[in-house]
Amino acid sequence: MGLSMKRFFVKRLVLMGITLFGLSVVVFSISRIAPGDPARLAAGPDATEEMVEVIRKEFGLDRPLIVQYGLYMKGLLKGDFGRSIRTRHQVWEDIKNYLPATFELVFVSISFATLFGILFGVLSAVYRDRWIDHLIRFFSVTGVAVPMFWLGIMLQLLFSAKLHWLPLGGRLDTMIPPPTPLTRFFLIDSLLSGNWVVLKNGLVHIFLPAFVLSFPALASITRINRAEMLEVLHKDFVLNERAHGLPNRVILFKYALKNALIPTLTMIGLRYGWMLGGTILVETVFDWPGIGYYAVAAAVYSDFQPVMAVTILLGLNFMIANLLVDIGYGYLDPRVRYE
Amino acid sequence: MKKGHWGLIVLAAILMVSFTVSPALFAYEKRDGKKIIVYGERQPAPNIDPSQFYDWSTRMLQQALYDALLKYVGNPPRLIPWLAKSWKKSADGKKWTFELVRNAKFHNGDPVTAHAVKWSFERTLALKKGPAWMLLDFLDKDGIRVIDDYTIEFSLKAPYAAFEMAIPWWYIMNPKVVLANEKAGDMGQEWMKDHSAGSGPFRQKRWEHGVLYELEAVEDYWKGWENPKHVNGVIYKIIRESSSLRMGLEKGELDVVAGLNSEDFDAVAKNPNIYVTNDPGWTTFGIKMNTQKGYTKDINIRKAICYAFDYPSMIKIYNGNAILEDSPFPKGMKGYIPVPNVYRQDMKKAKEYLAKAGYPNGGFELEYVYVQGLEEERQIGLVLLDNLAQLGIKLKMVPLVWPNMVARASKVETSPDLMAVFTTPIMNDPDVVAIQYHKDSWGKYYGSHFYQNEKVWDLIQKARFTADWNVRKSLYEQIQVMIMEDAPEIFGMLYNRRWAFRKHLQGFVFSPMRLTSEIDLYPLYIQD
Repeated sequence: MGLSMKRFFVKRLVLMGITLFGLSVVVFSISRIAPGDPARLAAGPDATEEMVEVIRKEFGLDRPLIVQYGLYMKGLLKGDFGRSIRTRHQVWEDIKNYLPATFELVFVSISFATLFGILFGVLSAVYRDRWIDHLIRFFSVTGVAVPMFWLGIMLQLLFSAKLHWLPLGGRLDTMIPPPTPLTRFFLIDSLLSGNWVVLKNGLVHIFLPAFVLSFPALASITRINRAEMLEVLHKDFVLNERAHGLPNRVILFKYALKNALIPTLTMIGLRYGWMLGGTILVETVFDWPGIGYYAVAAAVYSDFQPVMAVTILLGLNFMIANLLVDIGYGYLDPRVRYE
Repeated sequence: MKKGHWGLIVLAAILMVSFTVSPALFAYEKRDGKKIIVYGERQPAPNIDPSQFYDWSTRMLQQALYDALLKYVGNPPRLIPWLAKSWKKSADGKKWTFELVRNAKFHNGDPVTAHAVKWSFERTLALKKGPAWMLLDFLDKDGIRVIDDYTIEFSLKAPYAAFEMAIPWWYIMNPKVVLANEKAGDMGQEWMKDHSAGSGPFRQKRWEHGVLYELEAVEDYWKGWENPKHVNGVIYKIIRESSSLRMGLEKGELDVVAGLNSEDFDAVAKNPNIYVTNDPGWTTFGIKMNTQKGYTKDINIRKAICYAFDYPSMIKIYNGNAILEDSPFPKGMKGYIPVPNVYRQDMKKAKEYLAKAGYPNGGFELEYVYVQGLEEERQIGLVLLDNLAQLGIKLKMVPLVWPNMVARASKVETSPDLMAVFTTPIMNDPDVVAIQYHKDSWGKYYGSHFYQNEKVWDLIQKARFTADWNVRKSLYEQIQVMIMEDAPEIFGMLYNRRWAFRKHLQGFVFSPMRLTSEIDLYPLYIQD
């Protein structure tokens, strides 16, 4: 297995490289074909032709496309994502600033969705057609149907504006400075530095946005896990285990759930990818200073470098998530072990 | 199992309660006895280099961190001395001399001298970014002369009457600090994007991009403070949703907000702890018509459109918080006159002009391009659609993102028949509006009409280079009447600029020379 695993990895890494290269070409082409004149926009509404030229030159937009692409790739291989034409920031600096906020939010959300999604799925299947099943199914339908944007504002109104239980938005209170940056995940950094005030404040702030972001994922994970559990629970091997008098707990969590988890795992992987790409709405409602809002703000101003960087990073992340799901398959089901 | 389930609910409830924040409705923030106010708005300020950017949020921070030789205050805007204690121009309007105050100092203690002024102007001119366009045609490096440590002279290449009006946009930087942070000959551009080297009433404290920018009052500011209760600090916080801004203000987490929609402004105005200001701004809204291509090339069709439009509907769209334009220049601006016989809805006249153009029954289609997602522009378009339908003209509504609008407006061939445009003049001088109707503005978004009238152009040039205000004034009167007559756009309205403040925050002074939601932070104080 060691060898086949190694081969599997090498194959996947090569494929990932090719996909990333393709992605970079596509993103670069789309950004350059799109109408609009980024240099003119960045120079300001009253800029003279001469001033627009200065910007064009500084950002290499006066050079042939193929040269621009070459220079971009050369930079990329060195980990240099270029500079934003709109803000003149180094894109890498911005990514370092905004990406961890999004990752933190997504990790909390996906963990929440996974934990409760699997739990609710099991509960719903075990208590099929009882009130608890109805309740969970009601929530899982709502979760898919309710727009995140609306849900976010409603929860804000209730928990923040009316009840004053939770803050409106942001990662921390206005007067609380962020913890010393180590991982730039506020929860982890505050934990590592033993800063309990920030930790508590961070938890309070992440609660609503993470809940809203996790809601659709929670719903689909619950639904798929319920369906799979129902199917597995009717299999002969479960009947056999029951006949042998195995405790219900063991049958459910050790045998049935493990079998039901494979499609659920796919769903988790997919949802994780969508979440990262779809944080923009939650980031907007809750003023979460993340990568989604950053990318959209850049896209609106034809600011290519940040858009390309974010797309490539999110693409890479999606690929890694897929890889992890595949490895997870192998762990759960020896039959699909990387042939 | 059931037991466990309930346990879970109880656990979740305990967690929720233990994580909640206190419901206290606090006023301003306090740190070590200092009173800090929070301003919530949408627009970030990613780069505060005065030589590179001047959008409203950036400029608000720059005005707090830096000083200029002169400053705009009040309504109508007055130009008052700041780093300069006096200034004079030569009779031909080419030579301008500024005498500086003696006690001004930069945040690091260095005195603000004529050398620093010279260096700052040179930097902006050399970088050719941000506000450079205002003076590039008139001033070069050799035209700036230090007479003594506290006197500086500008010799312009041509007389430019509006020169002093541009001065408040040119902030003075400490050359020593900037050059100490220069990298690869960039004149400190990389460093200055999130650092400052000014002498203004505030200095930078926390700078968290995408979240907030905190300013701290310079207690021994060289010019002193107008009010002993002045704010000790300001946090400019980025809040993106109108609903969040409103909730934040009502909860007391924010002390002042802008950018609410009309309904939200009206709603918060009823709160006893909040007051809302409402001042006529100088941002004009017009629907520019392509005067060189398609149906709108014909002046009769343009006039028919101008007479068909239902003007007061715009005021309704803004819930009454707007006034109609009656000149190409905003009401209140230096040199503005109400132009007689402005266009107002008159379907009979509209039909006459349409008949004159040879289309008595319409029968053609025009394109109306507006900013995607900008609800007011969409609604105004719908009104126009309805009006034009009565003339047999179809209107195609085309929402575009801003970059694509700018791209389309850049060439006469692609410039739309009708394009909705907001424009804010940034100097109190009619030249900045008049120039929008000059050939020099072709290709810029506000020149999407590609207006052509050589007589008007000559007058604009003449007025620009004339030193005597009385002569200029009569030239601008003619210019306003002539532009209106040619109907290059539907002259629309000026909407009111509004802010909502918590009651304890006082001292706000409105000036139409501050952009969009920009507040002059210097005069603000707290009344407990």
